Amino acid sequence: MIGPSFPGLLAAAQGGDEQAFAVLWRELQPAVLRYLRVAAPAAAEDLAADTWISVIRGLGRFRGDEQNFRTWVFTAARHRAIDWRRQAARRPAASVSVELLADRSAPDDPAEAVLEAQSTRAALALLAELPADQAEVVALRVLGGLGVAEVARIVGKRPGAVRVLAHRGLRRLAKRLEAVGLERGVTR
Amino acid sequence: MTDDDALVADMRRLLEFLEAGPPVLVEGTADRLLAGQLDPADAPAGYAGLARLLAAATAPAAPEELAGGQLVMAEFAAMAPSHPPTPSLRRANVLSKLASVKAVAAVLAAVLSIGGVAAAATGRLPGQAQRAADQAPSTTGAAAAGHGLGQAAVADLGAAAKTGLCRAWQAGKSGDHGRRADSPAFRALAVAAGGADNVAAYCTDVAAGGSADSQGRAAAVGPDAMAAARAGLCQAWQSGQGADNGRREDSVAFQALAAAAGGAEKVDAFCQDTTAGSAGSQGKAPSSTPSTTVSPPSSGPPASTGQGGHGQGGPPTTSG
Repeated sequence: MIGPSFPGLLAAAQGGDEQAFAVLWRELQPAVLRYLRVAAPAAAEDLAADTWISVIRGLGRFRGDEQNFRTWVFTAARHRAIDWRRQAARRPAASVSVELLADRSAPDDPAEAVLEAQSTRAALALLAELPADQAEVVALRVLGGLGVAEVARIVGKRPGAVRVLAHRGLRRLAKRLEAVGLERGVTR
Repeated sequence: MTDDDALVADMRRLLEFLEAGPPVLVEGTADRLLAGQLDPADAPAGYAGLARLLAAATAPAAPEELAGGQLVMAEFAAMAPSHPPTPSLRRANVLSKLASVKAVAAVLAAVLSIGGVAAAATGRLPGQAQRAADQAPSTTGAAAAGHGLGQAAVADLGAAAKTGLCRAWQAGKSGDHGRRADSPAFRALAVAAGGADNVAAYCTDVAAGGSADSQGRAAAVGPDAMAAARAGLCQAWQSGQGADNGRREDSVAFQALAAAAGGAEKVDAFCQDTTAGSAGSQGKAPSSTPSTTVSPPSSGPPASTGQGGHGQGGPPTTSG
């Protein structure tokens, strides 16, 4: 979080100050990119850039505090991911990467990379294995640093439904990791 | 809300029955896990692996994750003409008229040194950055700063930039223009200091602990700019050790670092020297992790994100 200097930075960025905007970008870009690695793994970098372009275009009209800004930026990122998935579904060569990643016997199982090497990319790949609605909610809460209310607003669901999806996602991941961990004897 | 609660309870019972595996989480535990507040060692039975996953997912930013900064900043600059006249330009003019020569020189030195960080990260020579900065000091400097922020993953102002900005701020103390709280330079300083109120203390530290070179200017455009860039790159590189993505040898930043070190295999030794030699002058670790910051579970209704909340009036859909 940027904290007390956020309103000043936002106002400056809205006035065209590049340095102020760079601070905002730097604060949120890693989280946005990671969220997109979960929501649209094959196009995350491009979609992150698209997200920021739409943020730049809408920046002058934005009103709100830092939490509102985060929510707004992730809303934009989610729209990019949804658009991309829609287009990907129309393309004949749809990505099969999710199925490939889910193959637990694969030698480079992301679960092992998470448990042994604390790999961020592998952790995101595991999140992406979840059913889309669970992955989205867990990613927004964990990576976006957003609360139940904010996530509910972003995904257009009720807070209770968001809680349930997050629970289910966490439990499924725990189960997945536990199985690998016991097999490999790496859980402590 | 009561419907929701009932739904949660129902779903939880259902989960218990339908799925074998780890026990269903207590609500508070789930929230702490999601907020990154639960240490893997304290995780309930069956959830240690998950806690490690979440920790890995929210690890500090790697340089490659900030690699797209140049493009985004260029887009921002391109959009700027539709905004009111760029404040940094306007103020630069006011400054050059009103401020003492000393203050201007210090600000320029700071801008150039930030440019040096960017130049180092992209493999350009500092001289090129300097020529560009000479042609259009404030715009190029700001772009370079944004660029540098992204490419080199330097969270704090470089030592030289810090010294320059502090000098400008201190030089303006008697007049009102040098420390104008709304100038871009001051804001950068305030961000680095952790707030406008902390600038005086921050600059005292810098003056006391800064370089012995009382001129500042020569140091900032010369070797110090490179030292700051080097320290930033090294910190970014070292912070990524252990993770697979933090030290990827194909990243632009790493290539610049490898070039400076005289080879990829020499980076370790090179960075050891750098960090030992400049300890304290660079500030904190290079990366902030937005996701480890803990937000209140619900911060009440948003003031006016109606336009962005559900996206009706939010950013236009422009990907197509």
